[in-house]
Amino acid sequence: MADTLIELKQVYYSYLGKIPALQGIDFTVTAGSKIAIMGANGTGKSTLLMMLDALIFPDRGTMRAFGYAVDEEQANESVFSLLFRSSVGFVFQNPDVQLFCPTVKEDIAFGPLHLGCASGDVRQRVADLAELLRIRHLLDRMPHQLSIGEKKKVAIASVLAIRPQILLLDEPTAGLDPQTTRDIIDILLEQHEQGKTIITATHDTHIVEEIADTVHIFSTDKKIVRSAPVGEVLADSVFLQEHNLIHIHRHRHKDIIHSHPHAHGTEHHQ
Amino acid sequence: MRIDNNRFIERSIIGALGFIQQSLFAEEYASRAGFLQAREIRIKVVSFIVSLIAVMVTKSLALLCGIYVFVLFLALVSSLDILFFLKRTWLFIPFFALCVAVPAIFSFVTPGDTLAGFKLFSIPLGITRQGVFSAGIFFMRVLTSVSLSVLLVLTSRHTALLGVLRSFRVPRIFVLTIAMCHRYIYLLIDTLLHTHRAVKSRAGSALSLEKGQRMVTWNIAALWQRSYSLHYQVFAAMVSRGYTGDVHSIEESRVTGKDVLWLAFVVFFLVECLWQTR
Repeated sequence: MADTLIELKQVYYSYLGKIPALQGIDFTVTAGSKIAIMGANGTGKSTLLMMLDALIFPDRGTMRAFGYAVDEEQANESVFSLLFRSSVGFVFQNPDVQLFCPTVKEDIAFGPLHLGCASGDVRQRVADLAELLRIRHLLDRMPHQLSIGEKKKVAIASVLAIRPQILLLDEPTAGLDPQTTRDIIDILLEQHEQGKTIITATHDTHIVEEIADTVHIFSTDKKIVRSAPVGEVLADSVFLQEHNLIHIHRHRHKDIIHSHPHAHGTEHHQ
Repeated sequence: MRIDNNRFIERSIIGALGFIQQSLFAEEYASRAGFLQAREIRIKVVSFIVSLIAVMVTKSLALLCGIYVFVLFLALVSSLDILFFLKRTWLFIPFFALCVAVPAIFSFVTPGDTLAGFKLFSIPLGITRQGVFSAGIFFMRVLTSVSLSVLLVLTSRHTALLGVLRSFRVPRIFVLTIAMCHRYIYLLIDTLLHTHRAVKSRAGSALSLEKGQRMVTWNIAALWQRSYSLHYQVFAAMVSRGYTGDVHSIEESRVTGKDVLWLAFVVFFLVECLWQTR
């Protein structure tokens, strides 16, 4: 059996103690896996990622990470905190909240510097990532001046600089142009080939097949209603439509207007 | 409806944007090659504290003027735009200090040797030598202290300054609060700008003063909620990458011979000021 890195059992979480955000979640992260978390807007995907990054903690249920039971006290304990923050990287949905340093270079260096890496090593990591993500020309720029695609790449670089074992990504391709989307998928695949565990929250069915082997689907009542291999879930268009992940698409072929579910597999007609 | 005089919202937004631009400029100045930028940050902070003490203890108006001229010289050799520096330093505090100091020059506040006399509404008033001296000392102390502080901030990266606070054993929670404010203010102002544009796109620019004020009131509550959420997200993003309250910078900090010479010069200057005022 593969190594279990993080495990949630029967987890409940609510905002302000009254707005349910996660209900009865069982979730296991194994080393080297590629997982997608899908669901319509507001179903709990981002909340789950925040919990997997030990930024919020279960109201009920248990969370274990790297062999430790995790709660707020444990997360703040210095030895565990260093282990956890060095092992788990989180790319937030909004890159503006993630890029808070005066320059791109300092933003990329922020994580490893605060996790105790020597400055020479940090400089090397920054240079390597700038090359890998083709953002060397941005290093001395201010993050606020960048385009959304550039910000996203810098946000990913700032997390990869930590060299985490687990990479959490919240809607990594939302609002990006096709080329930047492609670049980001390629980066994720490359990271996975190097042995990293990739967990992506998305409702973009275009990218799921590439970035995940297993998919967990959230329903509007904040529960995981299905966990299965990606191919199996994507083939079930009725299920996807029920959970607001595909829609009926109307379009024109010469003079004929017709409709069909807007899915992204091999089923599209000629 | 005439709205030309009622664009207070836009004026506020433009003011906020001006603040952002000035902050961005400040980082730009801190990145330039210049005398103060090249100084090791802890040495620089200590030398500025020593200089401020010298300003506080000096009782000679001529010496204070000399220190101020030296501060301007430092700004020049640190590649600062001198007009920008003067604007930053003369606005608000020195201006108000001047207003506060003016009454002290008159004989009814500071009696002494009359330099000039005149009548205001048949009341005889005199400007005294002692009054002018007291007001001058007060004003020059404020102006020079503000200039020194601005010079330190303009020529230092904010991350380096925060790092110094921690190395001087300033409590972590204090440093953390300042760090959060600095990072979050950009995003908050951005949110404010978007909110203003959203209001304008729906309501147009033809807003009366009363309506505009009402809209601002509504927005304050919404902004409070948003800013709370924003603050939480920024902090979470920092914690997620290992932030625990200590600040580290990729810029290496090494004390050089020039730094030691600079500090020795400033300390010598302080001793000289103390000697003059004994």
